[in-house]
Amino acid sequence: MDDTETLGAMLVRRGFSRRSLLKFAIAMTSSLALPPMIAPVMAANLSRARRRSVIWLSFQECTGCLETLLRSSAPTIDSLIFDFISLDYQETLMAAAGADAERTLQEAVTANKGEYLLAIDGSIPVKDGGVYSLTGGRSNVSMLPEIAADAKAILAIGTCAAYGGIPKAWPNPTGAVGVEDLVSGKPVVNIPGCPPVPEVLSGVLVHFISFGRLPDLDNRKRPLAYFGTTIHDQCYRRPFYDQGKFAKSFDDEGARQGWCLFELGCKGPVTHNACASLKWNGGTSFPIESGHGCIGCSEPDFWDAGSFYTSLAGGSGAGWRNTGIALGVGAAAGVAAALNGRSKST
Amino acid sequence: MTDLGFLADDGLVDALLMEVAGLLHRLIENDEAGSIDLRAMPLSPSCIEMLKQRLGPGEITVMLNAAGRSEIHETGFSGVWWTNHANEAGRVIAMLIEVATVPEILRANIDDMRGSLVRLPASTNIARNRRAHG
Repeated sequence: MDDTETLGAMLVRRGFSRRSLLKFAIAMTSSLALPPMIAPVMAANLSRARRRSVIWLSFQECTGCLETLLRSSAPTIDSLIFDFISLDYQETLMAAAGADAERTLQEAVTANKGEYLLAIDGSIPVKDGGVYSLTGGRSNVSMLPEIAADAKAILAIGTCAAYGGIPKAWPNPTGAVGVEDLVSGKPVVNIPGCPPVPEVLSGVLVHFISFGRLPDLDNRKRPLAYFGTTIHDQCYRRPFYDQGKFAKSFDDEGARQGWCLFELGCKGPVTHNACASLKWNGGTSFPIESGHGCIGCSEPDFWDAGSFYTSLAGGSGAGWRNTGIALGVGAAAGVAAALNGRSKST
Repeated sequence: MTDLGFLADDGLVDALLMEVAGLLHRLIENDEAGSIDLRAMPLSPSCIEMLKQRLGPGEITVMLNAAGRSEIHETGFSGVWWTNHANEAGRVIAMLIEVATVPEILRANIDDMRGSLVRLPASTNIARNRRAHG
């Protein structure tokens, strides 16, 4: 596909019908929590749209974010949207290396000045002049403002890029921070998660390509459509929480019955993400469906928020039963409701 | 599902049916189609099944093969359609109640029809003979 070809023309050339595009738009409007009647408009806009340059910089990260996005789906119309971006720089994927790679980056920035999307995964270490993460001898902290300056918008992909993530965990030896700590004056969307849900990135890209702007964001600059509710709000085990039915250990009768994992440390009530609705691995399941509580990986400082197995109400972890302490700690309405429900069940 | 869950489902289904009625009224009075995205709400499988039963079956079922299979069923209420869209892997990617004379995705696209107008004469024997004989 050349840079002047529209998505509509590309789809026709590849044998996809306009109904396929409309169907894709229906699915995306659903995913983005837009009114279903917007779908024909989105399909028409996508059909007329052209390729959007994306420059992807990987900083202090584990490659998990890129891995999950690359393995997001089979080659379907869903993944065609990734053909519609021109990934002009991505160190892990590109063939070029060394000076050629650096030249590619500069050429992409120059050719798409003011129009490219800048995707970042990984945190940025700032301690000691940023010496803890270098690309081609240059620190991340010196590269980011330079490449961000000419970007149309910035996508902070994964919890590390959004909030510093695991590298920022205590004692944060490298002085890791998130993108927003270093960039100002540019539209930034945070897509946290360790790793993030791949469909969220495709949703943000589709929205940007269709309507020329980022989707509505919450106060942490996350797409509202995906992060507007908690895992708990969307969880299929929520009725058990409301009825006060909790698993007390990972192998008790409650666990086998699929009861709520709140007392086993599930962080679903305070974690905003779309895992419970979009799920993982092509919609197969998500951690709670596999019997493990949410660890809250898309929230800031999740690694320092205590044991994954300690109830949000307090206590010492799985099997904890002291409601007295919880009443002192549990100021949140959800916690209070949980305790109330539990007392009814016992 | 417990009695408590059943009662909650029943209330949700009633609310959704009233919304469908509102959309149908708008279609009749203003000729405006509408739809409800069932995946946008945390509906339990039992709630979805109850809603499907309350709407009942209609006269038309359409199978659409476009980037995966879609099933479009008219419900027992004229102008109210139940639509399931799946991708190539068979995963449901959208589930809607559409309120329209005909769901939009079934209509032929004007650009596609123009393309057909170009291709149709080329598929006749006259055109084949012309190509065969230079």
